[in-house]
Amino acid sequence: MAWEVGLLALLSTLIYPGIIFLVVIALFYQWVDRRFYAKLQNRYGPIYTGPRGILQPVADLIKLLAKEDIEPSAVDKQIFRAVPVLILTMPLTALFMIPITGTWALASFEGDLIFIIFLMTLIAILAFLGGWSSTNIFSTLGGMRAALQALGYEVPMAVSFMGPAILAGSLSVSKIVQWQASHGLWAILLNPLGFGIVIVAFLAELERIPFDIPEAETEIVAGWQTEFSGRKLALIRLALDLELVLASGLVTALFLGGPTGPIPIIPGIAWFMIKTLVLVLIFSNLRALFARFRIDQMVSGSWKYLVPLSILQIVMLELLLGWLSF
Amino acid sequence: MNLVKWSRIKSPWVFHFNAGGCNGCDIEILASLMPRYDIERFGMILRGSPRHADVMLVTGTVTRQIYPRLRRIYDQIPDPKFTLALGSCACSGGVFQQCYNVHEGADKAIPVDVYVPGCPPRPQAIIDGAVKLLQKISKS
Repeated sequence: MAWEVGLLALLSTLIYPGIIFLVVIALFYQWVDRRFYAKLQNRYGPIYTGPRGILQPVADLIKLLAKEDIEPSAVDKQIFRAVPVLILTMPLTALFMIPITGTWALASFEGDLIFIIFLMTLIAILAFLGGWSSTNIFSTLGGMRAALQALGYEVPMAVSFMGPAILAGSLSVSKIVQWQASHGLWAILLNPLGFGIVIVAFLAELERIPFDIPEAETEIVAGWQTEFSGRKLALIRLALDLELVLASGLVTALFLGGPTGPIPIIPGIAWFMIKTLVLVLIFSNLRALFARFRIDQMVSGSWKYLVPLSILQIVMLELLLGWLSF
Repeated sequence: MNLVKWSRIKSPWVFHFNAGGCNGCDIEILASLMPRYDIERFGMILRGSPRHADVMLVTGTVTRQIYPRLRRIYDQIPDPKFTLALGSCACSGGVFQQCYNVHEGADKAIPVDVYVPGCPPRPQAIIDGAVKLLQKISKS
């Protein structure tokens, strides 16, 4: 029946594992991140909103959606209105190409890894555009820093993504997951260095604390988000939460075997949740551990250390593959 | 209770404005964010930009120089917005009352919802004032 297949595709795009499911786990991971970050600082974090504070991100979202939406008269109106919507669609689109329930993603084609890298670059460019269109000095500075930072982390991240792709002989995320499942081997075992580089690069992509240079609160108010208020800010915050899911989901798929595991009874979605939660905890642990770098330290450091290390990782992987004669 | 009001009570984001104070109140605000009192329990986060905030914390006697800036920053906060005057200076001018260079208190410049006296107020007093503000929001 053709219409049943169509209905199933529609439901899986909209509800599970599509948009609604992704938004729910994005809000849940924001709560996990805030609680764990607070625990590391000897605080409690949000505890009074719903059971154990689990509804805190929902309350934040509803409050921002219901607030007044100010558009300063000097902003570039079209870009200023388009940026929050576009920045929300980017991580959602990229998440459709990441396997969540089984070894197949909702949308998968040869080369979708490259497409995901492209979408993640677009997020940085949209941050720059958002800062630029605000015409506020702090926003402009933050947007400039977001674009500069992207020049630093994009290259080592893309090179490190090629490690699992070389292993699987494919540029499709779903096929990389299937290769790991069929060989019973996680790509992190052959790419430990690449895994570390990707974690560092994603800290910069997510604008988390060692690399929260584009929204450095003590220097430039709130960076490129300074002028956004009300529902525009709500969409931007939701987009950043979805980006956290995207980052942990992509690292899970490429390096940790995706939604498969050694015990076959546990369903794929549970493996996905376990692995991404561990990654979220790693991200928030690093956030609590470090202080902010300067923008020049970040860019020169990533070109001096991360890029050579990621190339070294590829060379080591090729030598290892030749030695093992895979 | 209606959903929007619930979300407003549960996530009041704070913007802190020093209108010419001595930094005593500001250090007490920091103390109430720190592990011992931790007002993030109630969902309050200190935001850097007035565009993101719901509640404005005003400390310090409002000097003539800061007066127009205080008005402008207050106008930049999107509605609905609330104000908390923190410390004796922001409540009434404190020891600087009747000085040539001060407007006596934050309520001469902007509408104030809750006054927290003290020089400086303890973090417990700040949390008490915040809870009173949340009660006021829930009754409105």
